[in-house]
Amino acid sequence: MSSRSRLVPSQIPFGLLARGMTVLAAAVLAIAACTAGSTPPASPASQVPTASIVSPTSAPPASPTAAPAFPTTVTDDEGTAVELEAEPQRIVSLTPAVTEILFALGAGPRVVATTDFDDYPPEAVELPDVASFTAVDIEQIVGLEADLVIAGGNFFNPPESIVRLRSLGVPVIVVYAPTLDAVLTDIRVIGTAVGLGDEAAEMADAMQAGFDDVAQASAALPSPRTFYELDATSAIYTAADGSFIEQMIELAGGDPITTGSPTDFAIPLERLIEADPELILLGDAAYGVTAEQVAERAGWDVMTAVRTGEIRPVNDLIVTRPGPRLVEGLRELALAIHPDLVLPSAEPIPAMP
Amino acid sequence: MTGSRVAIGRSRGIGDRPVLLVGLGLAALVVALIAGVGLGSVAVEPGDTVAILAHRLLGLDLARTWSDAAETIVMELRLPRVLTAMTVGCALAVAGATYQGLLRNPLADPYVLGTASGAALGAAIAVIIPVRFVVLEFGLLHGLAFVGALVSIYTVYRLSRVTGLAPLTSLLLTGYAVGSLLAAGLAMAMYLSGAALRQIFIYLLGSFDAATWSRLAGALPIVVLGCAAIMLRARSLNGLLLGEQAAVHLGIDVRRERAILLGLASLVTAAAVAISGLIGFVGLVVPHVVRLVVGPSARAVLPISAIGGAALLAYADLVARLLGEIPVGVVTAVLGAPFFLLILRRARTGYEL
Repeated sequence: MSSRSRLVPSQIPFGLLARGMTVLAAAVLAIAACTAGSTPPASPASQVPTASIVSPTSAPPASPTAAPAFPTTVTDDEGTAVELEAEPQRIVSLTPAVTEILFALGAGPRVVATTDFDDYPPEAVELPDVASFTAVDIEQIVGLEADLVIAGGNFFNPPESIVRLRSLGVPVIVVYAPTLDAVLTDIRVIGTAVGLGDEAAEMADAMQAGFDDVAQASAALPSPRTFYELDATSAIYTAADGSFIEQMIELAGGDPITTGSPTDFAIPLERLIEADPELILLGDAAYGVTAEQVAERAGWDVMTAVRTGEIRPVNDLIVTRPGPRLVEGLRELALAIHPDLVLPSAEPIPAMP
Repeated sequence: MTGSRVAIGRSRGIGDRPVLLVGLGLAALVVALIAGVGLGSVAVEPGDTVAILAHRLLGLDLARTWSDAAETIVMELRLPRVLTAMTVGCALAVAGATYQGLLRNPLADPYVLGTASGAALGAAIAVIIPVRFVVLEFGLLHGLAFVGALVSIYTVYRLSRVTGLAPLTSLLLTGYAVGSLLAAGLAMAMYLSGAALRQIFIYLLGSFDAATWSRLAGALPIVVLGCAAIMLRARSLNGLLLGEQAAVHLGIDVRRERAILLGLASLVTAAAVAISGLIGFVGLVVPHVVRLVVGPSARAVLPISAIGGAALLAYADLVARLLGEIPVGVVTAVLGAPFFLLILRRARTGYEL
């Protein structure tokens, strides 16, 4: 019986799963914000920053008001041309940002299902959930007889599910906004797809004006070295290079400290200490992290922000979710960076019919 | 090999009736099929379900009382999904029984010699390289997972032949070493994957969410033919189970038969993991439960494991679906482990592979 070997540890990489979960949990925090896409976004819509006012004439020529809008073909952020026979009446949103955009545009009553992590607006929370973190309930989408599904790109929703829905004849538009410009483009794409192109153009213009207001107000002020904390329970998660959060902080008047790589969401403590933040923003404040806790962390006391007490909470959801509340998020971020900043009165995001 | 039955505890009575067990197993499969097609996140009237099946499968010309959505759900989503779960369950259970017999190791499962790590690494590479193509609904992920599983087992087999150790010890240890290396590669791929991490994670958990007719059509012939070929070699497997010396005395070409059985079991495993991801537990436990009930003869163990594995995964997937797409591997373990412990308690004497 010499060849009999017992008790060999199993080779299933389930041990890895544990680690995978940790990495994943972190990645969620970092990525969930930036609903992301595997292909570069469509060319950003050129904006006229000075046109700060909502006017119906600012509608893009692509959606003339007189001609019937449907049937139409919409090109999504992955370059897929999606044909829409008629104005969608049963819309499914697979990302919280898309849900917010649809409701802000006034298409809310036509939304029939959303994700199980939708939290805004309240009407959306009540709707059936057809997407979880790992899966899309295709059966329910088919059962709801959806005539348009709007999904998140860059693996936000499983690409398999998107392919499957399309193979079953359900039109799917994939959006992915890695930049502020791309968010505005997405709003226009979604607006065109649901027959609210003019409203979407108005909204995008108003948001651009809101971004410009903040940028102008903070332009003359010094830019403190700003560390935006997404999570620090195990590793320290913050903005990756070229990320949405980095852009938001720059626009809001800060000098963002990033991880040093576009694919890394964690920053080594050494690097953070060397970068020496003058301001720490707690995106994880909603999870109970406080300035006092930050000050007590080992090694953090050498940072300027900790010594001067410049540690402030921000509402991460509206700062990082690429939806219509971004102007609100940017204003909050700007005020967190420069508490004395005087902003022009909030641009109303157009009230929708 | 009828003389090889082993009396085990109170299970003795059942051990004489494998035919009865096959009958029971087939009945369980039919119930699983009906339940799997009839239940889901959308309620389809049982009458409609039966009518749709009769209409589409038997060609009966019935008055349409059902919606297109119901027909799509039953025919395109549920039926291929249930059949895929059964195919994968059958494949993993038969491969597990074969590996356990070949390696004479109760902890062996279809993944023990590196197939899982190889498939997972292949899938991870497919997810992170920016190449996307789909042939008959088989993407790069399925292709590389299949190839990865086979390449890794082939590598293990070849490397194991050049050591001076006894063949089984050598296989197991080589499998462990190669598997560790591949697992490291997988960890690295996961680390580098950015947003694609979620996709890799879904593969590691295993799911039948993406089951389609064409994917089933790709895997089914490999599984059916592979399992049939293994069952035809039940005599060799029984011989090998008695030990190398005994097998030689029985006139079995040990090296050749071992290589063939290993190849067949790996092929079947690779086909299963390519379409479903890594689903644990089934391949390890189902053969043990069957052996505890009917004794160790491969002639009984292989076919009953095939049916048992198919039924277990079909039921587990149904539960997973009804609970909102939780990972099916979680369900198999939660349902199966207590049952396995119960069987172990009932039969703690005399159990040998």
